[in-house]
Amino acid sequence: MRLRSLSAVVTLIASLAWPFTASAFDQLHLPAEREPVAPLVIHAALDLPYVRPLLEDFHRRNPQYDITYRNFATLELDERFLAAPDEADLMISSAMPWQYRLANDGYAQAVDTPVTRRWPAEAKWRQELFAFSFEPVIMVINRAVIERYGPVDSHADLLDLLRRHGDELRGKVVTYDPVASGAGYTYAIEESRLSPQYWDLIAALGHADAALVNTTGAMMEGLKDGRYLIGYNLLGSYVRQDIDAHPDLEWRIPDDYALVIQRLAFVPRQAPHPINAKHFLDYLLSVNGQGILAKEGHLGALHPELDGPGTANALYRLRPEGLRPTPLGPGLLTTLDDLKRRALLSRWQREFSGPQTLFP
Amino acid sequence: MIGSDSLNRRLLTWLLLPMAVVGALVLWQAWLDAHRTADRAFDRLLEASTLAIAEQTQWQENRLWLDLPPAALEMLATQHDERVFYSLVDAQGKVVTGNADLPGISRTTGTIDAPLTFRNIEWNGMPLRLGVRKARLENWSVREAYEVRVAHTREGRDALTWKLFRQSLAYLLALAALSIVALLVAIRLALAPLTRLRRHIRARDPRTLTPLELSLPRELAELRDTLNELLARMRRVKANQERFIGDASHQLRTPMAGLSARAELALRQNNPEAWREALLAMQDTSQKASRLAVQLLSLTRLGNPEYQPELVPTDLTNVAREAVKEHWPSCQRQGVDLGLEAPDIPVKVDAQDWQLAEVLANLIDNACRYGAHQVTVGVDANPPALWVKDDGPGIPAEQRLLMLRPFHRGSVLAEGFNRKTAEGSCPKTAEGSCPKTAEGSSLPSVEGSGLGLAIVDGIARSLGAQLVLEDASDAQPPGLSVELHFSPSTGSGRTS
Repeated sequence: MRLRSLSAVVTLIASLAWPFTASAFDQLHLPAEREPVAPLVIHAALDLPYVRPLLEDFHRRNPQYDITYRNFATLELDERFLAAPDEADLMISSAMPWQYRLANDGYAQAVDTPVTRRWPAEAKWRQELFAFSFEPVIMVINRAVIERYGPVDSHADLLDLLRRHGDELRGKVVTYDPVASGAGYTYAIEESRLSPQYWDLIAALGHADAALVNTTGAMMEGLKDGRYLIGYNLLGSYVRQDIDAHPDLEWRIPDDYALVIQRLAFVPRQAPHPINAKHFLDYLLSVNGQGILAKEGHLGALHPELDGPGTANALYRLRPEGLRPTPLGPGLLTTLDDLKRRALLSRWQREFSGPQTLFP
Repeated sequence: MIGSDSLNRRLLTWLLLPMAVVGALVLWQAWLDAHRTADRAFDRLLEASTLAIAEQTQWQENRLWLDLPPAALEMLATQHDERVFYSLVDAQGKVVTGNADLPGISRTTGTIDAPLTFRNIEWNGMPLRLGVRKARLENWSVREAYEVRVAHTREGRDALTWKLFRQSLAYLLALAALSIVALLVAIRLALAPLTRLRRHIRARDPRTLTPLELSLPRELAELRDTLNELLARMRRVKANQERFIGDASHQLRTPMAGLSARAELALRQNNPEAWREALLAMQDTSQKASRLAVQLLSLTRLGNPEYQPELVPTDLTNVAREAVKEHWPSCQRQGVDLGLEAPDIPVKVDAQDWQLAEVLANLIDNACRYGAHQVTVGVDANPPALWVKDDGPGIPAEQRLLMLRPFHRGSVLAEGFNRKTAEGSCPKTAEGSCPKTAEGSSLPSVEGSGLGLAIVDGIARSLGAQLVLEDASDAQPPGLSVELHFSPSTGSGRTS
């Protein structure tokens, strides 16, 4: 797994040809263009193409900032922070349980500004942890499947399809591997809480011999080149561009329920430049910053005043019910419980492997 | 004590001070109660959470196993977003799972019957409320003991505590406001009679000295009675003053009328000899009138309580000697034998020499006027005393006190004197004429103002000396002895 993620990073570095590629992370540096220089160090698990417009807009408005942006894998980000909690001014990650755990353990400091005070209560925790994006977890379906078997608009549809045509779709379905992937595990635990029928779906996926991969990117690669026909539980924000470029693929926000991932940001208690971090956070939660998110269209903008494409409000209009943003609460801590993880994964594997392993 | 200048404020202070102390105690109690209530309410959450976790604790894969229910943690966080910590600890004290290594609570009385304990702890710089549940697996084969520990931060508890406390505070403040209003009204009502008394006094005609007539509570009735006594005294004083003024003007009018009559009589005549005689008589009369005026002045001055002369050590012997020297010639003219009986040593008392001289002048003058032939001025050294004795008719004992009042001339004296003059027993004089009869021709039978002893009495009072009037001897007439007994000089002088 480690090798694969490393190679993914290398691929990314190679494809984007960033100048700073010494370590196993991407780095973006926007030097200050005005005195006095205000340094800002952001550690994040958010790929550069998605964050770049945001940083550039902020830098254009505030040229005195000397911004160092480092992008890590989620778990790596967490480990690095615990090793050096005084390194970053701002922590951004989509790994909600890990971010929540750091804040719960007191690693974050409160950010009390007019902007953060106005931020919706369900999208923040103690003025310390702020959700700033709105990214549904979706299904990607090849049009051929829809033409042949009819529309797949919900989990129930998918379960039905797999039950009826599981043999025909054998090996053509792809989803996250919850054992190897943190995101996959998070989705699994959330979904198992949402619906008991989730286990039926896992059993059906197992029956259809679904491929298990570690990243949305890997799923998308297979879907684009036709190896897979159905992708289940992809992070919507990462597939949008590819879908637009591939007319034979269609993305579906499930009708019945859809998980919504929210990126969480906090200012570490030991941040070297907390004032600068708070300024950037204010921007991130402002109409300006959120407007960039909406315009770029990858990460959904959460700001309640923003509407139109790429905003949470638009998504809610599309799916008035069924959007399930993960609540920012201590329930996230259960996700990180070792025994819970082992219990869930063993059940998952049991269901996925089918009845034969129950009585070996 | 602040506010001692106002009865109102004094009452308020002494009523409010205990109220404030009681209020503070009640508030403290309310705070403790609010704290306890909030803790009790939120401890229920810890209890439910530990129970939910304990219910999911099993024996699996040869170890303690927990399928952590998210609700068990979510119930610990209210809208105040408390930080939440939990751990499952086995019988050996090893953490099986959890997000924090929470401390246990050692108990001496803990049993399975009372499995729950709560405590406030400080953990990683955070104040936490910790709940620990001791439990045991109810398995057929394994009866492993374990502990569920959960903790959360105190935001919700503090908020509830504050809410409860604010309610108590509002209640208490309302109560305090009502009490203060009631207190103010009560004090105003209680002090109303005082205001009534004040208004009554202020509304009175300033010249009237009639008693106050209004019904008052007992405490103020006493004040009213005291005031009435004072008013009665003032009425008496005023009557005295009016009489004094009446007497004084009468006394002054008489010589003036005499002068006027004499002048008129003289003007009808053409003889310069008669004029001269009239002028001499008028001079004499005017001298007497001016002496009377001087005496009135000094008496008025002595009666003025504001007038307090500085007393200095004064030698009585010297004063007596000077007085004798001064009055000897005039006495000699009147045929009175003026003598001195004084020790050779100085006798110091606290006094003013002019006052003592005035005393002696009045006494010598009195003695001369009232028919004494021999007057002795004397000084005693121990105890210090100044006295004047004569061999005149004296004053009967029952009259002596009256004699000290201004313008009071003893009738007996006057009679005695009249009798003497009628008998022609004129004091022997060098001129062979009796001055009193000569002067008295146009004056009342007893001349003299009747102020002499009153002045002496006034000076004695202002000097703090004791005035004693006695018979001078057992002889007939007994004569009069006037003595002033002083306390010895302190040497430093004093004010009377």
